[in-house]
Amino acid sequence: MMSGAVDGGAPAVETVGIGKNYGPVQALKSVDLKIASGEYFVLLGPSGGGKTTLLRLIGGFIRPTSGKVMLNGQDVSHLPPDKRSTSMVFQSYALFPHMNVEQNVGYGLKLRKRPRDEIAAEVEAMLELVGLSGYGERRTFELSGGQQQRVQLARALILRSDILLLDEPLAALDAQLRKDMCVELKHLQEKVGITFIHVTHNQEEAMAVADRIAVVASGELVETAGVREIYERPARRFTAGFVGERIIFDGVLRSVSDGVANVSVDGRMIAATAGDGASSAIGKPVSVSVRSECLKLFGEAPQASEAGWQHLEGFYVESTYLGLTTRHTVRLASGREIGVRTVGGDEAVGPFARDAAVHVAWQAHDAMVHTA
Amino acid sequence: MQARMAGAALYAAPVFLFLFFLIPSLLTIVWSFFSRTMFWMEPDFTLFAYVNFFTSARFENFLWSIAHSSISVAICFVLGFPIAVFVRRYVPQVAQHRVILLFILPFMVSEVIRTFMLRPVLGRNGLINTVLQDVGLTSEPITSLLFSPTGVIIGEVLSFLPFIVFAGFLAMEAVPKYIFEVCQDLGASRWRTFVDVILPLAAPGIFAGSVFILVNGLGVALIPSILGGPGAVNAGLIATQAIIALDFPLAMAISAIMIFTLLGLLWIGHRLFDLTRTLEPLS
Amino acid sequence: MQDDYTSPWVIRFGWIYLLAIVAALMVPVFYNFYISFNEYGFGAANYKATFDWYITVFEDRLLVNAFVWTLGLAVMTVLIVIPMGLSAAKLFKQLTNKVWLVALMLLPLFVPADIFASALLVFFKNLNGMFTWLSEMTGLGFLSTWFELGVTTAVIGLVVYTLPYVFIVILITMGRYHPEQTEAARSCGATAWQAFWQVEFPQIRAGIFSACAFVVILTFNEYTRTSMLKGGFDTFTTVLVSQMLNTGMSEQSYAMGGIVSAVAIVIIGSIIIITLVQQEQMARRERAVAEPGSGQ
Repeated sequence: MMSGAVDGGAPAVETVGIGKNYGPVQALKSVDLKIASGEYFVLLGPSGGGKTTLLRLIGGFIRPTSGKVMLNGQDVSHLPPDKRSTSMVFQSYALFPHMNVEQNVGYGLKLRKRPRDEIAAEVEAMLELVGLSGYGERRTFELSGGQQQRVQLARALILRSDILLLDEPLAALDAQLRKDMCVELKHLQEKVGITFIHVTHNQEEAMAVADRIAVVASGELVETAGVREIYERPARRFTAGFVGERIIFDGVLRSVSDGVANVSVDGRMIAATAGDGASSAIGKPVSVSVRSECLKLFGEAPQASEAGWQHLEGFYVESTYLGLTTRHTVRLASGREIGVRTVGGDEAVGPFARDAAVHVAWQAHDAMVHTA
Repeated sequence: MQARMAGAALYAAPVFLFLFFLIPSLLTIVWSFFSRTMFWMEPDFTLFAYVNFFTSARFENFLWSIAHSSISVAICFVLGFPIAVFVRRYVPQVAQHRVILLFILPFMVSEVIRTFMLRPVLGRNGLINTVLQDVGLTSEPITSLLFSPTGVIIGEVLSFLPFIVFAGFLAMEAVPKYIFEVCQDLGASRWRTFVDVILPLAAPGIFAGSVFILVNGLGVALIPSILGGPGAVNAGLIATQAIIALDFPLAMAISAIMIFTLLGLLWIGHRLFDLTRTLEPLS
Repeated sequence: MQDDYTSPWVIRFGWIYLLAIVAALMVPVFYNFYISFNEYGFGAANYKATFDWYITVFEDRLLVNAFVWTLGLAVMTVLIVIPMGLSAAKLFKQLTNKVWLVALMLLPLFVPADIFASALLVFFKNLNGMFTWLSEMTGLGFLSTWFELGVTTAVIGLVVYTLPYVFIVILITMGRYHPEQTEAARSCGATAWQAFWQVEFPQIRAGIFSACAFVVILTFNEYTRTSMLKGGFDTFTTVLVSQMLNTGMSEQSYAMGGIVSAVAIVIIGSIIIITLVQQEQMARRERAVAEPGSGQ
């Protein structure tokens, strides 16, 4: 797993202060990004947040209104897509319907005027790579959604470019197919070894394939980190609210000692893990977040003396059995409703009657402080 | 650099129309103020052409032609718009375009042939009279079908009915398909659905189509000259006659009046209905 | 839309009415055919069916000449108007502010033929005067003939007339094209032109050919503008009209009219049939793919 370190030489993709305006609308505000060669990099974010705009700026389908794009150290901002060392896979409708699979895949090589037999050999190699050997003669409308995306992959990879861009490639597929394709994409990237940049709004998809994830929302690059880090220790409040299911409290940071931050929330003090730079935020408004699976339900206050346990009082509302997990809804004293997750129909928890008084507790080290 | 040139080439059509459509049209005003010479005209500023037109005998006939064209519009609407509604409602999406092609068919035959062929159809000894007499519905030929305002109206309706169907069809694209089902579900009668829901939604397209027919009815000289009675004129015919008579300022005056009437109607329509909505299906 | 509870009679009546209107609109055309097959010409008491007039039509020098001129005009107009309409459609797709373009492109539809022809006639006469003066000044002789009434002016008038129709037809055709394919082609290394010619054009080809057919038919049928702007030569419609109004139509003219109408009907009819067949093929394909076991 890549840690995101640049291993000697220029990064495969670098954007410097890149931005895009459409008239008065700012689709993307100054983004600085570095993507290393051979990484599987995911742009994750809500719809309309700018991640597709960023991808298209890298690919050359849009011109930046500010900043520049560098590929392997070269400024390519003024180059159209056919002159850049990127290839793209689209969401749907991108296969050429008047050509069969073989002609689609071989199109890029045909443009480069390679000899016929060379093209045929390469096409066959690519089809085998994506698991569609023997499909060369088929027409595009004869293929299922998953097969069409594989043809697109073959068509893009045949050019042996350094960087593959994928614009929500799995969005048109149904849930089960999407899960399978995620695994295939990951293996494909490991096999081929080039940089993949993948855009999606689906969090599970992002985590299944990525080495590193960049969260993009409201035209801004919110946070970039490895998969595990982004899920377990998000730095920004937005990321905490977007990735995974967390309960977030807003409060004021009172003190920091030994890596433990004390935040006052609704008049009570809560301890949480202080990140770097937390000390500079003393006295300022911050937020604290805890993952719902780290929350525990008790009938009475847990042994408060046990170090590290934080807890809140509330009333039990209901439980919703979702198969893999069960979500317990609890109404806090402030009136706010939160969710606590347990695995399976965990009988170790409760059962609690409606409106029973419960305590929601978590360990301080499972709580994160966000200064922004 | 190449991209710049390619970008400029895209403007070929608008530039062409600007040069050979907009400019001549606007210049008609300028020329209408010129004074007439033997074979041409000379730059001047006089209202003579306009005065000539408004005080001439032709003017009264011109006003009548407006009335006749308006009747044509109304008849076209009553006959043609229900077809557009019917096609939208009851014909499967894929077949709809074929129906439109069916209406393109008469349009594709020369207007000259269609208009002129009405003479033998509407005339004293023509098709209609022959059939009516043979069947026994009339004992004498009806003479008022041809060389009369009726003839002109029939000619205009026949020429322009396909356009109201097209305009109606385009207008109906603004009506979402499920509207019919919703109205039915709510218990609205067909008539109420039509008046309260369909008409307002389709209004921009209908208006545009009506303006088209009205203006063309006033402007196409062919129909009154072939089917109209003595003295039957419309703006187009007056303009054409003026040109033949080498009275160019007069022709320009009439053209200018027509062009500004047309622009005025479109402007009114736009304020009332926002005509740009008609074009949404295209984009 | 076609719900199961609608009375079939409503639908039947609708169709009958629709077809009746189309038939009524076509009455003059059919009457033309009827007359053209009559050996005794128009208005004669007897009727004998014959192909004579269609055969001799080609011997009528005047008519054939006019036909050839009109064909020439049609070809030239097509060569100019189709690329223009195509580029205008592309421009439309690119612009954010589209209203002015559409208004400009469609405005010629609303200006009646005679009015526009008069304006353009005067415009050309003025231009001709200017260019003649210019050619005298510069000594470049050919300039003086540029805007004389003739082929150039007729073609310009026809281009303005047909441009709106071409624009609409091409826009509708392009509406079915998915722009991601152009981007995918660019991503594979195609230049803008290659992407258009190799990927987009094959898919909009049918629409473009329809537009071409449209323009040819429109040119043949057009009377007013051509008659005013053409200058010395005769076109098909001008011959017909002058005969109609003056000498009466010759039997060959009816036959010629019949031919032109027949061509138009055949063209439109084939388009209808071809789209019907294509649709059946698409439906058959879709049924095949929808069968289980064909996927993944």
